[in-house]
Amino acid sequence: MLGTKLTRRQALGAMAAAGLSAGLYPKVALSQDGKILKVRSYGDITGLDPAFRSGAPEDDVMRNIFPGLATMGPGTEWKWQLDSAVKLEQTDPTHIAFTLMDGLKWSDGEPVTADDVKYSFERFLDPKLEAVYKGDWEALDHVEVIDEKSGVIVLKEAFPPLWNVGLVYGSGRIIPRKATEAMGGRFENTPPAQCGRYFIKEWLPKQRLVLAKNPDWPGEPGAFEEIHIRPIDDEKTGELALESGDIDYTWLSVSSIPRYRQTPPKGGKIEVRPSLAYVWLGMNQEMKPFDQPEVRRAVQHAIDVPTVLEAAYFGAATPATGLIAPGLLGHRAKNIYGYDPDKAREFLAQAGLQGGFECTIDILNKAERIAAAQAVQANLAEVGINATIRQYDSGTFWTIGDEKAGDIWKTIGIQINRFSMQPDPSFATDWFTPEQIGIWNWERWNNPEYGELNKKAKVETDTAKRHDMYVKMQDLMEESGSYVFLTHEAVGIGYSDKIAPALMPNGTPIFYGFKPA
Amino acid sequence: MLSYGLRRLGLAAVITALALIILISMIQMIPGDPAAVLLGPLATPETREAFRVQMGLDQPAVVQIARFFGRVLTGDLGTDVLTKRPVLTTVMEQMPFTLWLIFFSIGWSAALGIPLGCWSAISRGSWADRIIGILSVGTIALPSFVVAIYGLLLFSVALGWFPTIGAGEPGDPLDQLWHLVLPSLAVGLGWVGYLARMVRASMLEVLSENHIRMARAFGLKEATITYRYALKIAIIPTVVLLGIGVGNMISGAVFAEIVFARPGVGRLIFDAIATRNYPVVMGGVMITTIFYVLSTLCADLFAAWLDPRVRTSL
Repeated sequence: MLGTKLTRRQALGAMAAAGLSAGLYPKVALSQDGKILKVRSYGDITGLDPAFRSGAPEDDVMRNIFPGLATMGPGTEWKWQLDSAVKLEQTDPTHIAFTLMDGLKWSDGEPVTADDVKYSFERFLDPKLEAVYKGDWEALDHVEVIDEKSGVIVLKEAFPPLWNVGLVYGSGRIIPRKATEAMGGRFENTPPAQCGRYFIKEWLPKQRLVLAKNPDWPGEPGAFEEIHIRPIDDEKTGELALESGDIDYTWLSVSSIPRYRQTPPKGGKIEVRPSLAYVWLGMNQEMKPFDQPEVRRAVQHAIDVPTVLEAAYFGAATPATGLIAPGLLGHRAKNIYGYDPDKAREFLAQAGLQGGFECTIDILNKAERIAAAQAVQANLAEVGINATIRQYDSGTFWTIGDEKAGDIWKTIGIQINRFSMQPDPSFATDWFTPEQIGIWNWERWNNPEYGELNKKAKVETDTAKRHDMYVKMQDLMEESGSYVFLTHEAVGIGYSDKIAPALMPNGTPIFYGFKPA
Repeated sequence: MLSYGLRRLGLAAVITALALIILISMIQMIPGDPAAVLLGPLATPETREAFRVQMGLDQPAVVQIARFFGRVLTGDLGTDVLTKRPVLTTVMEQMPFTLWLIFFSIGWSAALGIPLGCWSAISRGSWADRIIGILSVGTIALPSFVVAIYGLLLFSVALGWFPTIGAGEPGDPLDQLWHLVLPSLAVGLGWVGYLARMVRASMLEVLSENHIRMARAFGLKEATITYRYALKIAIIPTVVLLGIGVGNMISGAVFAEIVFARPGVGRLIFDAIATRNYPVVMGGVMITTIFYVLSTLCADLFAAWLDPRVRTSL
């Protein structure tokens, strides 16, 4: 026992050593040599099959591991650029010729061919596959293979959205025919073969996904040896991880943007990009008293949008003039109806409701939506409308207007909603057609003229005409009284000053384009 | 002891089955359509309908529950509807992270809380007793998420001592341990105070009993009386409490897993509820319920082993 007796001096020494190693260890463990890029994703991947991807976490990975003919480029303006093709050309409204670059090879050693392109795009139309994203290729007739590297995409009719959505995002990724068919025609999180600037080296569910540089990529290689994508649900945790140096890139919460604008994170920078998403207040035309046009118009005049945005976004977001964000075709210059509480009261009186009425505001339980609803509630109270806010979790909220998912749709009065968007106006307008009543058209607004315009605008090749059609559609929406356009929000991005991120105009990251600063 | 163990095991099985039926019935009553949530806005009504049939959601809740239990008997917890991986694999992949967090949290809180409780009891009325009392109540009152966030801000962001996110480098136990420090501080801090108060109260009760007075009368050393005679009896309710605590910490682990972006079964179930990924919810709930019942069972059996009087009741 005497031999193992610990003296006070020894104990203090051991404690000091332990303390010292405690201070040093994390720096050793987290030290970086600039070869690894650590980024945050808001969720873990759920499926990497382009036909069944579920959101941005998958898109962000697929862009690195599957080639596409084209992709959206980085910068502040929306424009596509070639990806794994050396040629991509619209030869007439229904034909797009392509030629793949030389040296493209799947990870199983097989070459990437025009037949792979044919398979990748045509499978979206296979009724047996039930592809969730089949709408992206709805105009496709077939893909004609000319030789191993060349082919022609043949459309049934002109389809401009293909250049802004189908070809350049997830639905435009090329997958290996042989390897995919060998897996039964679809796959989940284990791609049958990969070919991109990076490939998946390791996936630890809920921990991280590691992309390693593909040495066989024939084009410009990625700048980092590895990219570690960490699924971090909570934006605030992502911000703290950035501040402590655990990650190099994260999206910021809207509420943090003003703070970071004043004081950027230590060793980091921030950027605020305009989002494409749109937030609006909708009124259910079949719900009393919103079935009266005067009541809907009264609500339009009762809402002070800048005040609502100040409460919800702390000055980081600007008012919207429609569904379509600035910089996109179809963007509207201004709204028709604005804040005027006196007019609101007049319209209520015309409807015989000068004493006001009771209604509900349905929202998703997110901080900015709650704040916006409270501001709207205060605006409505000023003109005598007493609104009750009903909050739902995401699992419930996204189904409240769906007739097949229960009876909540019958009780919707006012709802504040947000849809995400891709850089083609059709992606925004599709949800408000008469066919979408009971699915995503929660306002139950039935306007056949709008529906027709939506169909025609999708296939209109004259850009000016197409722009006018989308402007008209938004005018119709506002004239109906059922819509108050609130904002497109803003996207805050924080990153280490040791890197130079490659971002699409709305802040979507192109990880393979990230470089050391 | 064997008879008690068997009776207790039978009761545990009944509790598990009842808890599962209640929980799974509640899941079925939650509004929201999994097909809409999982497939997103672009899915056509036909695709959604096909998905509902594939998931068995077109069947009545009773049939869904019966099917679930039927599959469980064959060792199949179903398939994760998002990743298409077996639920058992998904849950068991995440379980070790939660267990590490729980055992590490309960371990350090017991290692600190029990001696503090003893010290407080044997120095009753002293300044040490008062300070421990104040600190104990303080740690109990402090919400865990506050500890988590302030821990992150102070020890990760300001001082840079500990990592903010993740569970550490796979295959590097030291790094994994390092990633456990802050989450376990958040999960376990309240338990330090709780255990200290519990042990103090038990010790005071035992120290006033006749056999302790007799030991003192025989002239035994105070340390011997405290640790050999008093603590052995006083620790029994604490052991039972630890068993319940281990189970309760699963719910405490959820916020720690979210705040620290750690993998774990709590976060898995939380995410699965949000996305209405029912097979993962049901599988995850089943495994955690079994774990909870087993931990309380072990605590009861241990208490019965320490104190034979407990065996007379169920």
